[in-house]
Amino acid sequence: MKESLMDILCCPLDKQDLELEVVRRDDDEILDGRLVCTECGEEYPIEEGIPNLLPPDMREETPA
Amino acid sequence: MKGQEWYQTDEVAEEYDAKRFSRGGRLIDGREKRAVLDALSPLDGKRVLEIACGTGRFTVMLAERGADIVGLDISEEMLQQGREKAKTAGVSDHLQFMRGDAARLPFPDDHFDAVFAMRFFHLADTPASFLSEMCRVSKDQVFFDTFNSYSTRSIYNWALPMGSRLYAESEVLRLLHGAGLRLRREEHDFLLPYGFYRAIPNSVAEPFRDVDRSLGDSTVGQRLSSVSYWDATVK
Repeated sequence: MKESLMDILCCPLDKQDLELEVVRRDDDEILDGRLVCTECGEEYPIEEGIPNLLPPDMREETPA
Repeated sequence: MKGQEWYQTDEVAEEYDAKRFSRGGRLIDGREKRAVLDALSPLDGKRVLEIACGTGRFTVMLAERGADIVGLDISEEMLQQGREKAKTAGVSDHLQFMRGDAARLPFPDDHFDAVFAMRFFHLADTPASFLSEMCRVSKDQVFFDTFNSYSTRSIYNWALPMGSRLYAESEVLRLLHGAGLRLRREEHDFLLPYGFYRAIPNSVAEPFRDVDRSLGDSTVGQRLSSVSYWDATVK
């Protein structure tokens, strides 16, 4: 995920700003990390370069 | 979402492109790409969001033509394939894939110039909520296709493993109105349904498609077509 994506991404639940926490990155992009909503505190993982903005009720742990 | 489990298995993701776009499937692929390009061009610098982008066959094509594009899907496996395609095509700097829910998009209002979804609404159990969310994040265009209820597709539709919802024209118009969209252009094609083209040998696919196209141009043909493309604008 490119860091510039932060300009447009927001929390899918309350549409508030997200904060980026980087765990692993290369020259081009963020490979692992998380996005945290500044309002509700919900965390969205970034895995293998792909941010996962699925709301918590749609993630693997809790099939919809 | 009926297709949610079906499309997220590794095997389905891996075989997806090969299975879908062999034989007559290539004719379908070509027609769909033309529909998308016709609707969204000119693309240079346009901000585009693709809903249910799968392995990114449209996403990458539009990025290659200069669109600044986001591809959203629920399947990690499909998106990883899309990422590989984007790297190969050298478009990674203006194409971004992400996982997300089409009914709760992680974008502010009116961010994109165009939002589109292909082969998505037939899997949507709550189409009104998806369409209004697409409308919310678009400041101008919303484009999508549907499979039609009064068509040859209804012959085999019931047997499909992922489930598939068919729409009548009146239903689509109601959905557009309900979402705050105005229809700009509609196209109807494929008197012979996709399932037919996937089943027949390559050698006869073209001749059948020629007949399909000429019959489809008639008034009755238009009404019985199995696929419709809807180009709408935000009111």
